[in-house]
Amino acid sequence: MQASPHCPANVPQPSSEEVTSGADIISTVEFNHTGELLATGDKGGRVVIFQREPESKNEPYNQGEYNVYSTFQSHEPEFDYLKSLEIEEKINKIKWLPQQNAAHSLLSTNDKTIKLWKITERDKRPEGYNLKDEEGKLKDLSTVTSLQVPVLKPMDLMVEVTPRRIFANGHTYHVNSISVNSDCETYMSADDLRINLWHLAITDRSFNIVDIKPANMEDLTEVITASEFHPHHCNLFVYSSSKGSLRLCDMRASALCDKHSKLYEEPEDPSNRSFFSEIISSVSDVKFSHSGRYMLTRDYLTVKVWDLNMETKPVETYQVHDYLRSKLCSLYENDCIFDKFECAWNGSDSVIMTGAYNNFFRMFDRNTKRDVTLEASRESSKPRAILKPRRVCVGGKRRKDDISVDSLDFTKKILHTAWHPTENIIAIAATNNLYIFQDKVNSEMH
Amino acid sequence: MEFKLEAHRIVSISLGKIYSARGQRGGLKLHKNLLVSLVLRSARQVYLSEPGCPPEPPPAAAAARPPEEEPAPRTAAWAAEPPPPPPQDEAGRDCQGPRPRRCCCGEENRGGCAGAPPPPHCPRKRSAGERGQAGSPVKKPRREEEEPPPPPPSPPGEQEDMETSNVASLISIFGSSFSGLLSKEPKGRRRPPLDGGEAAAGTAPAEAAAETGQICCDEPVLRTLNPWSTAIVAF
Repeated sequence: MQASPHCPANVPQPSSEEVTSGADIISTVEFNHTGELLATGDKGGRVVIFQREPESKNEPYNQGEYNVYSTFQSHEPEFDYLKSLEIEEKINKIKWLPQQNAAHSLLSTNDKTIKLWKITERDKRPEGYNLKDEEGKLKDLSTVTSLQVPVLKPMDLMVEVTPRRIFANGHTYHVNSISVNSDCETYMSADDLRINLWHLAITDRSFNIVDIKPANMEDLTEVITASEFHPHHCNLFVYSSSKGSLRLCDMRASALCDKHSKLYEEPEDPSNRSFFSEIISSVSDVKFSHSGRYMLTRDYLTVKVWDLNMETKPVETYQVHDYLRSKLCSLYENDCIFDKFECAWNGSDSVIMTGAYNNFFRMFDRNTKRDVTLEASRESSKPRAILKPRRVCVGGKRRKDDISVDSLDFTKKILHTAWHPTENIIAIAATNNLYIFQDKVNSEMH
Repeated sequence: MEFKLEAHRIVSISLGKIYSARGQRGGLKLHKNLLVSLVLRSARQVYLSEPGCPPEPPPAAAAARPPEEEPAPRTAAWAAEPPPPPPQDEAGRDCQGPRPRRCCCGEENRGGCAGAPPPPHCPRKRSAGERGQAGSPVKKPRREEEEPPPPPPSPPGEQEDMETSNVASLISIFGSSFSGLLSKEPKGRRRPPLDGGEAAAGTAPAEAAAETGQICCDEPVLRTLNPWSTAIVAF
């Protein structure tokens, strides 16, 4: 995947390269803490890292473009012989570690195994050994007549990726999320029923901190769908459930955090009750705001902003695609109702973003209450083009260029999106294409 | 009545999803299957609570329903109990097609099971499955399914018929597939007993092994059944 040349200010810029096989379907997207690097994982177990080129002094208005920095195979398909189950190599989540030295590190996980990868650069190599020649072969000692000190000479940049830790056998069920603690020493991994706490340096054991598996699996009513550490308080984390609730847990309270400190739950609107109420209330993603004061959740039809101090209901609710509410039965039939959309905050926590169908993604400005629907597609994203807002019409008067609900393409779904930590750069994964949009003008909605 | 039809349609779709989840790569997805089972339970409750419940048991009603409601013969065999004539294309797939019919007739013996007489090997398979199941047929497969809906309160006729028509087919799949699989399991692999009882686990493999000759399931079928049972083992 290749980023195409960037564009001048105020112009969102698409970057993509098309590949056709299923293994290239992007399954996760994540910026690192500075935004210099962007990692994507795909269904084939590969990780591709993009690096932003430094801004050129010659063209001050040109922003750095993202180019491929490194590609490596993170996970391979495995077979659990004891259970006769194949373990998919698909990368479910990638999380960057805060950078502590010249190397970059990230965690990548599939359904069962989390791996810590170290990414280093090599741009110099020593030359002038006394005993070895240029190819590394031992010299004939009789030809050595003087001693020299090897010197470091520049070489072509080489990016090396090595697996430093493999955290295996921690999960019986499928891992759905990982989150690095602000203490930079521990991280947690969550599967459907349990959450484990790991130390980044210790791979042979982990602590189970949440276990919601009932004694009798017949009594199972909810599973864990996502989890995240608080960005500043290393003792706090949140996990979401398939019933639409959030639980904030404090690790200081007890070793096993089955009892939540706070439970965030909104009572169901009885007028919206249907066979599928439970499915659409399942939270597919939860993200703390950068400030740590709010949480953002995504369920099938809405995104909600929760204040950590208010457990009874969200402070803001935004409809992503409410026109689908009348189509839930068909969406159940074609499995779309199970799609897990992610959500994202911008750097200042003023705008939230999430994906939808037909390669649409939505942004909501929390201050102005304006929202916009944009499309990630080759046709509408020529270089230097400004993204045109799209509209889905639900009957009533239809404007030119509106899309009707029935002509939405449900196979084109934007599940994974990421926002640069500080700037208005977003990465949108549309099936097997990656789009990177940049907007120099600060957070104004078009 | 419309709700009833929609509810029944949702039930059959849900069952189809649970069935097709067996062959999924990466193992059963607990979350999705839990949601599907919740939908299944809601739809079933609506179906049963609808005042317009027909007096005849659902199997017969289902059989009378127009065929286009059921997308595939297999799903049809489950949701709408035995289709009046066995579908022609199922003749070659004895193990899959007739299984629901057979077990509906054999295990529950509720009225209206209008299927063809079960193939000769069926009683054996069925009884092996039954022997492996100590609990009530309704409860049994649910324990073996990872996230089954809790069994409904003890029911009068129609409710039980509903279960029979839709869940008994699941029972038969689990029961017979377990016994079929036990015979194919490699030695030395530990598996939890079917019903939690050591004795049953002890006898079931022996009986199932004896049936290997009679089991008409060929390799492809067993291969598809394998992930299901092992997924249950996994959970």
